[in-house]
Amino acid sequence: MSAVTRRRSPWTHFVVQNVPLLLALFLLLASLIVYVVLFYGNEHRIPGNFEATSISNNALPLAIAATGQTIVILTGGIDLSVGGMMDITNSVTAVHMHDSPGSMVLWSLVVILIGAAGGLLNGLLVAIGRLQPILVTLATLSIFQGIAIKILPTPGGQVPPSFTNLLTNPNRPTALIYVALIILLWLIFRRTSFGISIFAIGNDRQAARANGVNVLWARVGAFILAGIMSALAGMFLAATTTGGDATTGDAFTLTSIAAVVLGGVSLFGGRGSAIGSVAGAFVLTLLINILFFANINPLYQSFYEGVFLIGAVVLTVLIGRYLRRAT
Amino acid sequence: MTVKESASQPEVPAPTIAAAIEGRGIFKAFGGVQALDDASFAASFGEVHALVGENGAGKSTMIKIMSGLFPPDSGIIEVEGREVDLRSPVEAQKLSVGTVFQELTLLPWMTVAENLLLRHEPRGVGGLIRRGDLVRRAEAIFADLGIEHIDPRALVADLSLADQQVVEIAHAVDRKPGIFFMDEPTSSLAEREVEWLFRLIRKLREDGTCIVFTSHRWREISSIADRITIFRNGRNVATYPAMELGEDQAITLMTGRSVSAMYPEPPSLEGQEPVLEARGLSGQRVEDITFTLHRGEILGVGGLAGQGHRELFLTLFGVLKPTAGQIVVDGRPRKLRSPHDAIRAGMGIALVPEDRKREGLILPMPIADNLTLPILRRVSRLSVIEPDRERTLVRQMFERLLIRASSGRQLVRTLSGGNQQKVLIGRWLLANTRILLLYDITRGVDVGTKHDIYELVLDLARQGCAILFYTSDTEEMAHLCHRVLVLREGAISAELQGPGIDPEQVVAAAVRGSVRA
Amino acid sequence: MIRLRTLQDYAPSVEVRRVIYAFAGAILLFVIGQIVHPGFGSRNSIQEVLVIASFVGLVACGQMFVILIGGIDLSVPWVLNGAAILFVTSALGQNSRILFAVPLVLIMGLAIGLVNGAGVAYLNIPAVVMTLGMNGIMQGLTLGISNGLTCSSCASYAPPILQNIVNGKLFGIPGELLLWLGLIIVVTFALGSTTFGRRIYAIGNNAEATYLAGIRVKRVTVALYMLSGMFSALAGIILVSFGGQASLGMGDPYLFQSIAAVVIGGVYILGGRGNYLGTTAGAITLVALVSVLLAENMPDYGRSIIYGVVLLAILLLYGREEREA
Repeated sequence: MSAVTRRRSPWTHFVVQNVPLLLALFLLLASLIVYVVLFYGNEHRIPGNFEATSISNNALPLAIAATGQTIVILTGGIDLSVGGMMDITNSVTAVHMHDSPGSMVLWSLVVILIGAAGGLLNGLLVAIGRLQPILVTLATLSIFQGIAIKILPTPGGQVPPSFTNLLTNPNRPTALIYVALIILLWLIFRRTSFGISIFAIGNDRQAARANGVNVLWARVGAFILAGIMSALAGMFLAATTTGGDATTGDAFTLTSIAAVVLGGVSLFGGRGSAIGSVAGAFVLTLLINILFFANINPLYQSFYEGVFLIGAVVLTVLIGRYLRRAT
Repeated sequence: MTVKESASQPEVPAPTIAAAIEGRGIFKAFGGVQALDDASFAASFGEVHALVGENGAGKSTMIKIMSGLFPPDSGIIEVEGREVDLRSPVEAQKLSVGTVFQELTLLPWMTVAENLLLRHEPRGVGGLIRRGDLVRRAEAIFADLGIEHIDPRALVADLSLADQQVVEIAHAVDRKPGIFFMDEPTSSLAEREVEWLFRLIRKLREDGTCIVFTSHRWREISSIADRITIFRNGRNVATYPAMELGEDQAITLMTGRSVSAMYPEPPSLEGQEPVLEARGLSGQRVEDITFTLHRGEILGVGGLAGQGHRELFLTLFGVLKPTAGQIVVDGRPRKLRSPHDAIRAGMGIALVPEDRKREGLILPMPIADNLTLPILRRVSRLSVIEPDRERTLVRQMFERLLIRASSGRQLVRTLSGGNQQKVLIGRWLLANTRILLLYDITRGVDVGTKHDIYELVLDLARQGCAILFYTSDTEEMAHLCHRVLVLREGAISAELQGPGIDPEQVVAAAVRGSVRA
Repeated sequence: MIRLRTLQDYAPSVEVRRVIYAFAGAILLFVIGQIVHPGFGSRNSIQEVLVIASFVGLVACGQMFVILIGGIDLSVPWVLNGAAILFVTSALGQNSRILFAVPLVLIMGLAIGLVNGAGVAYLNIPAVVMTLGMNGIMQGLTLGISNGLTCSSCASYAPPILQNIVNGKLFGIPGELLLWLGLIIVVTFALGSTTFGRRIYAIGNNAEATYLAGIRVKRVTVALYMLSGMFSALAGIILVSFGGQASLGMGDPYLFQSIAAVVIGGVYILGGRGNYLGTTAGAITLVALVSVLLAENMPDYGRSIIYGVVLLAILLLYGREEREA
């Protein structure tokens, strides 16, 4: 064949193939810097333990939900029931969990099971029922929301303080340990057959099938994982807020998608990293704080979030185009 | 003159070795179409067996069934004499059957290494994939197969179509199949890669592999096949040792018609005025192209794949923006910002792309809608569509092109490939196209329809249409065109005057450049 | 090769079937409602349901256009809400200001659609992201400028003329329904018999090939998003004319309902198939369902659950994808 062409170094490949992820991390860094600067401007000191703790506690539920959403989006689908599942589990946690290790372990397992069950429902309807994910999860969102309200008709309930300390300790940023755990689990996931099959399906479902990937069960599995992550997110949310509310999860559906998009994951599937989504979750959380310290009228908060979301995506598209042309 | 085909199964020279794989009495229908009608096929170990026939004759379907992609409606498949029930390509692989299908099964946003070793990745601690070893193993596979120029770390989507095909072949060969099917493996490959593939095939044959492949290029078939089986209308018409079958005889068996002159004579060009000019045209992958195209002229654009042909055509059609130079139509420089600008009345440029199913036709819509899409204004008044006017125009095209369909309302996706191509060309005829850009329109088209297309192209040229013609088949280009421009690295490296261009010269100019004839 | 013609060759009948199913579903719901809750099938009751359905139908019209080309519009809630508030604060309850306020609000809707469409068509931003961001932008602007709906003119009512048009009756039929009927006729005609409609279906089925056939796909895309924005804004005007005042969050239910109505009505979520008759039937079915549940004094949570279950049931009936070969 033809002569050997010069090979690019592994690092060049990594950079070129991971531009969206790197952009997301860069965005995170930029947000942190802006936040620190604004904070200093207001409080005349750099953010400390308290700030780090509250930011990570606030970001963690979103990060967990975004990770689940990432897995579904990677297969080319979408999960609109994330918020509904979070509604259910944060209500369940607030209502049923008592201050004893046995109760906490039991109900944590129940939460995971609920998430798996909801995910299984979504997955079966999509894979075997052959329905579009956006429509299935739109319907299950409604169902989950209804179930949540039945469990906890008005905000209330009480999450045991020791549980809160374990998950989202209000005194120390231990939430970051969970973030590290998510990243670790993701790196492992990417190296498993199941993880590869998720990417394969998102690339080209037919090709994946031709290569022997069990597309049906992989899609179901993706939704089950997302369900479990959403359920855990709801549990963490209850821990942070120390109480329950059957509607607080609702906003997380669209913000989890925003976090995934900011994280550089392609909405068409097949490309992206949950690490980016976690970064995206933190960026969104930092954004709220940035707006606060920039003394932006809180009524305008959504405006800036919207501009930011669109701006970040435009930037990714433009940089991607430029890089493609240059290489 | 038709050829009578034998009613019973034809005499197949007894192979010296038992059949490696055999299909008997295979029936398969899709919707209302009977793709295989009591078909049979057998191939042996240690031979290269070519499967030829027109589009729709059933060769691809036969291969897909014997690869386990889908089951036959009825019939028996035997591997090494034992009857098998192939439920999926994966099951077939377990029986040592490997296949390279026409449609690539590569995952575009994953790396070459990941694709090569999909589901067979090197594992480490806890069963987790070792990514470093992944690349090393891929390198080893490539080294084994003599592939040096593809980087395993590259994303498949960043590779050229030819390189993707090479990876697909490497993927299949790495599984060490005892029975190896390849459906049109050379359609995206250029000369050099075809040589590589044939070296590979010869080595596999030495190792005792049974190799079955399909191709529409007679030169390839005659150079490497041991035996040739011809399919027509869903059944096996004949099997011959390659040496005993001539091209004309093969074509006759494939089409059921005798072959008159394959390539009609191009009409003479006498002082026709220029209608399209490129002056110093540069852009994506295109360097300083200057040429003139005259009314009634068929100008070929040749060269190896990926040398800027596609980009040149897309630039002339308004899809890509030139970075320098001009496009001149009827003597005036024009700015083409989109196909809309190129198509409009007064300009009359049309592009017939190679992938008619994805880029040309809108399969789920009726023939009429497809035909009139660029000229909606002519079949409507004040934006309201007038069905009568549309029907008249549609009927015109049906008659002129002999489109075989029940009516203009029939959906394009239910048509045969040849008829689909006719609808696409019909669309541009209706749009009063004066400058026709034909991009590889005979790729994957069977012999019979190819001939019809040649006749049509020449007819259009006779009527004054100016035609820019790109094809991957150098024979075709050499015979049909008045002139041929050879592109190399985006620039014109040679200009060959017809009639009677020597295809060898085209190839030489493509590889070496700077040949004036 | 023998070519047998099958029923699949004639696609229109599939679409017609879906529309029939959708209307059948709506009628079935009325029948069930009458059985379970006598009086539900009365003329007045049906009229009420239809009027509410017309609001959904209005928003769903815009959503349908966008979905037909494979897009989606998630900015519906706050375009509607913003339009409603802009309208009452511009019209200030005075008939004389109608000619100023109505065009102003409609232009606002068109402008937002323009931005949405430009982002999707020219910047290749996925529709989900673009319209989601736009929704946030509209939410922020609306809340901020109206100061949380506490501005002095925010509590204004719609001008009386409009209230009469929407609520009043002509030949015993509510004005709103006549307006909707007019819209149904115009849109159905436009989609089925004009070059505009032809282009939409072509793009929805294969945007690349349509582009290469000389259709200016980007322009059509922008135009459709503009229509969607306009319809959302129009719905805002009509809703306040119907109910009197604007409120915060009035647009939220319409996102889910517009998408559901479109899909129930047989429009394919990835584009290329469907029409407004089906969408109309879908809107009526949805609203009839909610009304039946309300009449049963079904508590909030029960309604949510049943809503979702019924949607799934309808999807399973005829929203299924092809089996993959």
